[in-house]
Amino acid sequence: MRKSSLFFAAILIMAALMPASAFAKMTNPVDAWNRHFDTWLVVAVVVWLVVTVPMLYFLVKYRRSSRDEDGVYIKGNTGLEILWTAVPTIIIALLGVQSWRVFNTYREVPQDAYEVRVDGFRYGFEMIYPEGIKTINELRVPVGPVKLSLSSRDVIHDFALPGFRIREDMLPGRFTYLWFYADKPGEIRHVYCAELCGPGHSLMQAKLIVMKKEDFNAWVASKKGVEGSASLSQDIRGKELIKQCTGCHSLTGERITGPTFNGLFGRETLLADGTKIAVDEAYIKESIRSPKARIVDGYPPTMPPFNLSDKEVDAIVAYLKEIK
Amino acid sequence: MREQPSGLKTWIFTTDHKKIAVLYLITACVFFFVGLLLATVMRTDQLFPAGSKFLNGELYNVVFTIHGAAMVLFWMIPVLLGFFGNLLIPLMIGARDVAFPRLNALSFWFYLGAGIIAVLGLLLPGRLDFGWTGYPPLSVITNTNTALYVFAVHLLGASSIAGSVNLITTIVTMRAPGMTWGRLNLAVWGIMGASIIQIIGIPVLAAAVTLLLFDKYLGTHFYDASMGGSALLYQNLFWFYAHPAVYVVALPVFGIVSEIISTFSRKPIFGYISMVIAIMVITVLGFEVWIHHLYVAGTANWARVLFMWGTILIGVPTGIKVFNWLATLHKGSIEFSTPMLHALGFISLFTIGGVTGIANGLLGIDIQVHDTHWVVAHFHYVLALSMSMLAIGGIYFWFPKFTGRMCSERLGKIAFWLTIIGALVAFAPQFYLGVKGVPRRYWIIPAEYAGYMRIGSIFSYIAITGFLLSLINFLYSAINGERAPSNPWNSKSLEWQIPSPAPFYNFDKIPVITEGPYEYGKPQGKES
Ligand code: HEC
Ligand code: HEM
Ligand SMILES: [Cu+2]
Ligand SMILES: [Cu+2]
Repeated sequence: MRKSSLFFAAILIMAALMPASAFAKMTNPVDAWNRHFDTWLVVAVVVWLVVTVPMLYFLVKYRRSSRDEDGVYIKGNTGLEILWTAVPTIIIALLGVQSWRVFNTYREVPQDAYEVRVDGFRYGFEMIYPEGIKTINELRVPVGPVKLSLSSRDVIHDFALPGFRIREDMLPGRFTYLWFYADKPGEIRHVYCAELCGPGHSLMQAKLIVMKKEDFNAWVASKKGVEGSASLSQDIRGKELIKQCTGCHSLTGERITGPTFNGLFGRETLLADGTKIAVDEAYIKESIRSPKARIVDGYPPTMPPFNLSDKEVDAIVAYLKEIK
Repeated sequence: MREQPSGLKTWIFTTDHKKIAVLYLITACVFFFVGLLLATVMRTDQLFPAGSKFLNGELYNVVFTIHGAAMVLFWMIPVLLGFFGNLLIPLMIGARDVAFPRLNALSFWFYLGAGIIAVLGLLLPGRLDFGWTGYPPLSVITNTNTALYVFAVHLLGASSIAGSVNLITTIVTMRAPGMTWGRLNLAVWGIMGASIIQIIGIPVLAAAVTLLLFDKYLGTHFYDASMGGSALLYQNLFWFYAHPAVYVVALPVFGIVSEIISTFSRKPIFGYISMVIAIMVITVLGFEVWIHHLYVAGTANWARVLFMWGTILIGVPTGIKVFNWLATLHKGSIEFSTPMLHALGFISLFTIGGVTGIANGLLGIDIQVHDTHWVVAHFHYVLALSMSMLAIGGIYFWFPKFTGRMCSERLGKIAFWLTIIGALVAFAPQFYLGVKGVPRRYWIIPAEYAGYMRIGSIFSYIAITGFLLSLINFLYSAINGERAPSNPWNSKSLEWQIPSPAPFYNFDKIPVITEGPYEYGKPQGKES
């Protein structure tokens, strides 16, 4: 029975891998994921070979030689059929157990994790830190375990952090969570939205910056100081706030979901009701406060209203004037 | 016996199961063609890095939505249940027609109506762009024509329920004398399992989209979290049907593979009983997997674990089938006809899709590859390309029986090799993108992966050319093919014992069945 011996080889490989992978103590889910994936990969290749090699062999060996030739009258073999029911069941059970353990490490958040709240919106992420700081499309965390509490302001999004082998959906009206172990400082990893959220879906990306503890504290202190005082220049503030808009409005002249911001100020816009209007401060403010009041011709009325203070709107308008 | 009427009118008013089957086939092939064209559009867009100027973010979403819906709902399910189900069931069980011929006709016309609505969803402004899954709140708050989506699903659902009731009733009540359950073709068993799933699942899907309609147009809040509803409710209801829908496609496919392999190995199918058990286990277990679509959707941890077990255990009955096919080849007398090549091609693609499916069934792995290109690659291997290829193979196989003509083997083989070479490679690079976490449904793929996508695009063109050649072959051979003998493949199955094309009322006299359909090479005098 060449096939059954192959199966047992597969079992042996599994057995050899299991103790190392499933029962080792782990702190970083990334390592657990990598090992789990490698185990699967070995099993997958073995299974693939067990199917493909005999198939090719039979196709060559038993190809029809004469017109009226029949095959051998074999209708089954209970022993073999039990074998290829039982062995896959065992392999799958072992993989399942390993997966369950890996999954648990993902869901059990360490006590000392630094917690950040992240809100998804079309099309960006807003990070809200425990210290009261907010950033858009840029997540800064100190080295160590980090927990993210995820939610959404409109449709379903997903916070995907492939560098840390983790993702979780962001749902309106409730919180979900994930955690990861930020092992070393650096600005390295992509953050994607992985749940279809509209035409700007593939533009909804952010970056993650892992900082040494003391650098992170310094950053927090500097941010808090500036945020509190009125000294933050309007320009910097506008630049930050506008990140909420660039998923739909390009700065370069390209058409995305909405009209481009490039050269917005002072241009003539054709509205859906056929009237023309010169873009000025009042119009931009109205567009932000009540986007549905006047709709630009040829665009869908999908711009959401934003909850911004007067100061923030001023900052945006000031910044928009500069984009040409 | 009445004479078979002819003319266009008879096609429109027909209640003959074979004609209805052909109507299904033609309509489904049109949607397959549309789906392939849309795939070409997406793949051309992906030839260029970072999104070409040729599609934009809105259009890309429309294209994959209609591609997905056309392929799954209007090509795969209708060709397998509508065409193969209608054509094969009466012929294989020895009946003159299905149990409710007029209901059968109605079911086809509903399907056509649903198809027209779906095409309107592509053409009218407010194009459908929320994916074939239609998740709220996206499908509720945007100004797309969600109603078209809902009505298409309703009409299609009514069609499928009518069709499935019909097939089940036919199988249960109209088998010829001597056609015991143990002598049924495996294709019949597969279609039976699929029909059972349809009847249980579709009402739930209908409920899901009906609530969507209410939320969008009547101001209810079933899926609106800010008013106490739940967006996840939709996902649960939707996948309760939409995952088993995969088995609606797969079970008939498994049956058809068995027919083809047994016939062209000239050997009884290995392990008939375990094949039947596997089909029925999948029918039941198929309803215990849907949460794998919600593995990272904030679902309760215990639910994720529970449904992981259901998901990966499906691998066992599926494995049984694959090994039984291999054992059928063993000591057979294998002929590489076009249908056989397609069945073997199916097994090669399906195996790749199967082992990668275990990966995304495993919670611990899926947490990285969920909703990435891994999944796109996986389901194109396991379902889209493999089962389309097999459906094409099945059409080649029974072509003589429903047209009375032979298909061109030469063109068929060329088409096969193009399809398999293309299909083996077309989606392979996307596994790599998936491991790197690149999400699916991305119009702009990060630039560093442009090379991978380009390889995928080039091989997709090859596969698509293969599929199109087969469609052309069918068209050409239906008109110009050689006249077919009644049993060109020398099969033992019942449908080949009557003339080609099958006469109007199938059987002059209802046959009395004395043995199963796979008795090849049976030594003289042995009992079956
Ligand atoms: C979800 C996508 C989306 C987001 C996010 C978005 N907008 Fe818009 N915006 C649109 C669309 C679509 C239009 C055109 C239709 C309309 O007039 O409502 C538009 C129109 C506008 C206009 C009028 C432009 C013109 O050419 O007349 C202004 C000004 C504007 N948006 C400002 C903003 C600002 C500022 C933000 C960020 C605080 C923002 N938008 C965020 C989608 C968006
Ligand atoms: C060679 C032929 C095919 C090619 C090149 C192709 C290509 C693609 C591509 C590029 C996508 C979009 C991936 C993304 O960005 O997320 C896609 C999605 C999809 N395809 Fe295909 N496809 C082919 C055949 C099929 C077939 C036969 C089916 C039948 C079941 C199918 C079913 C789907 C589904 C269900 C989706 C998902 C749509 C969604 O996300 O809503 N495809 N395909
Ligand atoms: Cu998104
Ligand atoms: Cu599924």
